[in-house]
Amino acid sequence: MITNDTGDSISEQKSASPRISSTQELRDRFGVAPVSTESICNPAIYDLEKEKIFRKTWLKVATTWEIPEIGDCKVKDLPVLDTSLVITRGRDGKIRAFHNVCTHRGNKIIPETDTETYVRARANVLTCRFHGWVFSTDGTLKSVPAQDHFGELDTACARLREVACDVWQDFVFINMEPEPSQTLADYLDGLSVVFGGYPYAESTQAYRYSTVLDCNWKVALYAFSEGYHVPTIHAGSLPGFRGADHAEFKVMSPHASSTIFAGGMDTTPATSAFAAVLHGSAAHRPRPDQLPKAINPTGRPDFQFELPTIFPNLIIHLGAGCGYPGLSFFTHQFWPMAHGKTLWEGTNYFRPPATAAEKAAQIHVSALHRNAWLEDTATMEDTFKGLMSGAITEMQLMDQEFLIRHISQNIDKYINA
Amino acid sequence: MDKTSSDAITSRFSDLSPLLEKWAFPAENQRSAVRWGASASEFEEFYSKMMPRLGEFLELLSHNPPNKLPPELHGIYQLVCAFAEAAPHHELYKGSAEVPHSFDPRRFRALHGNDPS
Ligand code: FES
Ligand SMILES: [Fe+2]
Repeated sequence: MITNDTGDSISEQKSASPRISSTQELRDRFGVAPVSTESICNPAIYDLEKEKIFRKTWLKVATTWEIPEIGDCKVKDLPVLDTSLVITRGRDGKIRAFHNVCTHRGNKIIPETDTETYVRARANVLTCRFHGWVFSTDGTLKSVPAQDHFGELDTACARLREVACDVWQDFVFINMEPEPSQTLADYLDGLSVVFGGYPYAESTQAYRYSTVLDCNWKVALYAFSEGYHVPTIHAGSLPGFRGADHAEFKVMSPHASSTIFAGGMDTTPATSAFAAVLHGSAAHRPRPDQLPKAINPTGRPDFQFELPTIFPNLIIHLGAGCGYPGLSFFTHQFWPMAHGKTLWEGTNYFRPPATAAEKAAQIHVSALHRNAWLEDTATMEDTFKGLMSGAITEMQLMDQEFLIRHISQNIDKYINA
Repeated sequence: MDKTSSDAITSRFSDLSPLLEKWAFPAENQRSAVRWGASASEFEEFYSKMMPRLGEFLELLSHNPPNKLPPELHGIYQLVCAFAEAAPHHELYKGSAEVPHSFDPRRFRALHGNDPS
């Protein structure tokens, strides 16, 4: 059994308050020593991460609103799992996940056009282009051309190979274990205390950016997991982000969370004009009242967003329009493609714009945010090269870099389990 | 919108035609390509012509969703989208077409990049 930092089993720590009361408590419980770069630099550890983390934990692969209609399918290419998965919404409305592999001779059921591909299954069936086997979106093999020419064929056993799939707060997760040792609800139990209840699915307007970085996935994850870099790296794009403070840590291992506070963004004339459009609209104005109670409980007015690390590779920054104007939340996901190659995906989620003015304002906010991400990603390949040089073997971490320490400790726990 | 007011809009914006020609494109990827090639003086000119009228443009665009705009506002909408993306280069980056000290923006992919905004 995986245990958390204090030695309790994960199931025993359910419903315990995740809040860390002071920096001293953070230091006492999790330590202050420099953290080894071994798990970033050693390719053998990457193989262990694939086997013991990515094939064993629940991974977010979609949102419910990406496949809203019956017959909608999303294909996600996942090199870290050595497969591509099809996520479908069946005739019964249920979301399921399957290997994108035809059970005849292994061709892809849905040819991929990108790292993710969206299709609508016409008449609720998927047809393999190789020999024409037809599968229902619930995985059933429906028809086989020239079926009577097979000496032996058990069509019931030739269903698409299903993967455990469940939904949390309208985010769709999969788990590659044939019988996952924890349900998704149990895996995210602690996280639900902090993030549960926000109407995520109302914010269907997405602006997504992605890039492939020549670095280990944790270099990218770590760079997005701390607020220490904000005044320096983002001096260009976020000059109004005054007094950035990364605080209010919460631990619900293997996940954790924290809050970013800072002064406002409405510093330039253009940003003020676009922000006014969003702030003046009932749908897009700041909604601190919609934040789950565990987030910013004292109602600090400089609240920007909550910054969690959802083990192993997901961040959902929840701002409810309080930070970036109109921005409900944004996500980062870090998909390893190889030891030194990572697909990063950053997505801004807004409520749908009712007018062209609102859309243009969202485009402005999204562009400002993308520019900040261009500043963030600029460090990653250099950092990885620096670490791979072996010049340093440890990272020195300050209090605001706590999430890095926590992820690193959990990675060690999983790979040594 | 009736004919008279649509004519009125067209004549009200006749001075924008050079800006429309340079900056107004429906999809983000097209606008990014223009922005990456723009000079500091082009950002400055775009900003100085757009910023004083931005409130007026946003008001005009606040009555319809993007896909139901009257045809005479299509150009203005694309121009405002381009301005939404270009303004930081004048306001924050001293006229540089690139975000200073940043990753190569051509390596960023926008999933929505080819869709009309
Ligand atoms: S491999 Fe799919 S029908 Fe033959
Ligand atoms: Fe950043």
